[in-house]
Formats: sequence, C-alpha cells, structure tokens
Amino acid sequence: MSPKKLSLPTMNDWVAALIREHRVFGPQAKGDRFAYDLLGCAADLRLDHDVTILPPRKYLMPPTEVLITFTRSGKFESVMEGEPLVLFGVHPYDVAAIAQMDRYFTQDHADSHYLARRKKVTIVACDVQSASENVFAACMGTATVPDGFDVLLTLVGETYVVESRTAAGDALLALAGVLEDADAVSLGRREQLWMDAQKLLRRQNLRCRVEDLPGLLDRSYEHPAWRQKSELCFSCGSCVMVCPSCFCFDVQDEVGWDLVSGERRRQWDGCLLTQFACVAGGHNFRRLREERYRHRFYRKGKYLHDRCGFVACVGCGRCAAACTSGIASPVALYNSLLEDQ
Amino acid sequence: MAKPRVAIFDFACCEGCQLQIINMEEAILDLLNVVQPVEWREAISDHSDEYDIALVEGSITRPEDEERLKDIRRRAKILVALGACATTGGVNKLKNHINSDELKRCVYGAAAAMPHLDTSPTRSLREIVKVDVEVHGCPMSTREFVNVVRCLATGTTPVTPNYPVCVECKMRETICRYEYNEVCLGIITRAGCDAPCPAGGQWCFGCRGLVDDPNVNAANDIMAKYGRTADDLRRRMELFNSTEARPCPRQ
Repeated sequence: MSPKKLSLPTMNDWVAALIREHRVFGPQAKGDRFAYDLLGCAADLRLDHDVTILPPRKYLMPPTEVLITFTRSGKFESVMEGEPLVLFGVHPYDVAAIAQMDRYFTQDHADSHYLARRKKVTIVACDVQSASENVFAACMGTATVPDGFDVLLTLVGETYVVESRTAAGDALLALAGVLEDADAVSLGRREQLWMDAQKLLRRQNLRCRVEDLPGLLDRSYEHPAWRQKSELCFSCGSCVMVCPSCFCFDVQDEVGWDLVSGERRRQWDGCLLTQFACVAGGHNFRRLREERYRHRFYRKGKYLHDRCGFVACVGCGRCAAACTSGIASPVALYNSLLEDQ
Repeated sequence: MAKPRVAIFDFACCEGCQLQIINMEEAILDLLNVVQPVEWREAISDHSDEYDIALVEGSITRPEDEERLKDIRRRAKILVALGACATTGGVNKLKNHINSDELKRCVYGAAAAMPHLDTSPTRSLREIVKVDVEVHGCPMSTREFVNVVRCLATGTTPVTPNYPVCVECKMRETICRYEYNEVCLGIITRAGCDAPCPAGGQWCFGCRGLVDDPNVNAANDIMAKYGRTADDLRRRMELFNSTEARPCPRQ
C-alpha cells in the first residue's frame, strides 16, 4: 500500500479503533521510564518514548513459559501459547532485534513455541521521536529499518506518514477509514527524518564500523579490559535480561501435588550469571567473572556473527542503562579495545 | 510408597515460617497427601522422635539448642532449613556485634544473670550441622517451600537460584532502586523471591542471604558511583547479613 497521511486526531481514533478490535501492546509511562503494556486507551500510548525498560521480546519469549505438560510415566504434550496481538510503536532497532530473533529460532532447529507466538504478532513500527541517552543504533545500522514490520509510522511535523507492508498491516490500517495518500512534501520530510536519525541515534559513538567488530574481537581475547571492567561486575545479568536480541534460557521441570503430572518451563537465563555454564557434575566452564563478562561480547559480536552473518546487537543501549556498575556499554568496551589496536 | 514422615521444629525465631505453611490453607490438604507430619508444635499435638525429613526454622542462640539440633540431624535423613533465621541466622545475628553481658543486662535487666537466660552468639543451622536444603527468605517463600516438598517427595534435587535479585527485577520490569539513588541489596542477594520489595518501591533487605559469590570488592566503587560509601551498604546488610557486613567482635 502506498504511504498515507494520518493527522494526529485520525491517529488517535485509529489507535482507539485498534484497541477495540485487538489486544494492542504499546509503550506507556512507568515512573520516569517507559514500558510496553496492554493499552487501555489511546491516550496512554507514548510514541514519544525514548526507550522501554524491556524490549518487546517479552511478548515473543516471555520471562517464563510452559513448553510441555508431562506425566512421570513418560507421556507428554506440547503447549503452544500465544494469542494474537499487535505490538504498537516498536522502534526500528527493536524491529531489527525481532528479525534477529526470528533468525535464531528458525535456524537449525525451528523453535515451535517461539514461532507459535511470533506468527500471531503484528508489528506497527514507529520511527524514533526522542533518542535515549545510551542509544547507538545508528552505529549498528538500525536507526531506521527497511523491513521487518507490518506498518511503519513516522511523525513528520504535525502529521504521521503511515505505510503498510503486509496484508496484516493493511487490515489494521483499514480500521483508520479512508486515508489520503501522503504528499511529496511529507514523504520528503520522512526521507530527511531518516537521514537525521543517523545522527540522532548516535548518542554514544562507536569508533569503528559494525562490520569491523568480529575482527576486533578476534584480536582482543587477551585484552586487559576484560579483567579491568569485570572487576566491577556483580554477575547480576541485568545487561542480558534487558537485551532485545538475547535469547538464552534454562529449562526446569515442576511436578504438581499429585507428584505424577507436571510442567516443563523455560525461563530467561544469561551468560553473565554464575551458574549459566555449570554442567552436570558441578563443573563450571566459565567460572570467573572475567570469562563470563568477555563471553557476552564474543557471543554477540563474533560467535553469532560467524553463524548468522550479523552482529547480535542493535544499539538500543538498554544494557548500558541497566548496569548498576556502568560496565555493560558495548560502545565503551569496543572503543577501549580499539584504543590499543 | 509410604509417605515420608515429617517433623517441623523451631528455634530462635518468630515462627512465621511455620505460619507460612499454615497460611497455605486449602493447599495444606495437598501437602498432607504427600507427607505425614509427625511433629509440628504450631499445628498438631503429636510428638515423635522418628522422622525422615526435619523442617527446621529459627537460629541457634543457646548452648542447649546446639545439642537439640544435632539430635534432630542424627534422626533425620533430610534436614531442611526454613527461612532466614535458619539459613543465615537472620536478624538474630544483630546481637553478635554486642558484648554478651551488656546485651543481657540491656534486655533482661536485674534478671540477666539467671541461668535460663544463658546465651551464645547466633548461628545459622549450617554453621553447626549439615543442611541438605535451604528455603530462603523472611518469611520463607511458600512457592519455594512447595517446590522443595514436591522434589523431596519425588526424590529430585530442588534448584535454588544462585543469581542476584536484579534478574527478577528485570523480568518484572521494575525500575532499579539505584535509579532513585537508593542503596539496594539486590545486586548481591540471592533471587528466588520474585523481587516483591523493589517492585513495591522498597530496597532489597537481603533477607534471602547473599549469592554464593557476591562481588563485595566492587562495593566501594559502586557506592562511590552513586555518591554513597561502603558503610551505607554495610549498614543495610547488617539486618540479615551481619556476619558478611562486618566481622563480629570477640564475645
């Protein structure tokens, strides 16, 4: 569908109509911060948010979910959760992260639980209106995205340009009524905004290109920065819990009171946590804080790159914001590796 | 399979962890389908010296308590520590920083010298006997307790988190207390409670004890980053983790 124009009042009516027809989750104020939550009314939607505490990944891969129900005699049944929902107002870097998640969960072994949720999600992306303090999406090539969404919204002055890319997006947009085509001026302003985003979403500046990162890491395994920074690490896992492209999980079984039937659940896990690399027999192959701290950067900057062809970081800056010790910023870490090259 | 015989004992504590079991209300019936309580002072009048599993709450604060605990350990196949007093010594350990005679005079006045008021430094159960499973928290987490009972009844090993509370705050999308410039013990405290205190706007008191490998060396730098001192952290740690907060003076 060609890009349309959506005035602010029409936009408001459209969101209200969507809320009546669908379960719509969007960024809302939470204290001084923002978080995705179920929208009760259009007024709660904050498309001017800088970044949400957790990325929308929580709807695609919740903190805990049931994978199967079983009996201890060996019978089991898969549980496929997930109801149709609309993610509204997703920033481009988070759209890019969802595309990365799609790749991980379909490569090699397709994760049916993830995919069951994913195929019921419609994504309404929204170009960033205010940049967060730690954002470096422009350095990672995710300040704007060409695809990965059903609908894209861009605020140009006092009006939105809205563009649907899929049948699901068209169906959502149909609820806005008859819309006028976006004029050349609006489309021009949108182009300009996309160019400006390359500057706006570079509040932290990576001093190399994203494609240089795997090579940089290749040369830096013994760099003193790993130890220096990790001395302040609490192994609290905040950096990976808030990451839109982290997907590691732990699996635990729990039986019910009948001691026969039970549920197998998966729960977010993270390579910064002490027990993450602990295997049967109690051996921990990343026993030291330094090893765990380093692993996160290698996993995201090199190992996943070697496997999937992209660096598993979209530059949202959530890790840097969430780290109590102030050591999680990928930009700060990579730049300090670069200094000694 | 016969139901395991369970005895519940209390030492120095408020008996709130036993109360958590009673507070399970209708789920107590489910519990009774799985285990056979043979001694439980707060709930039944029976008494027995023969049991498979001992659930023990409270900390050890008197010489005679130590002997009683060792006797329980000898009789039980599995010993479970219930709640902060049993797992860390809890708030009872605050007294370890005060001279024993001075403390008794302060609390008991003229009766301080009476022999039945004899006291010794507070210890957690595992400072005296081997503890097989710990159910942490003040009060203990009922959810965790239920899981432990089911695991013991099925012969599996319960898993206790060994990561900080921050993990659960992130899962709940709770805004970090440090963003409000407040010293929170969540960064070094064992998770498993689902982080209700920070979610309710309160700093973590550390009632579940510290993770196995807390980064205490980082404390100075981190407190300085937030305009605080290591003493600010220590003072908060004293409530439930006084031994880790500072070494105890000689008694």
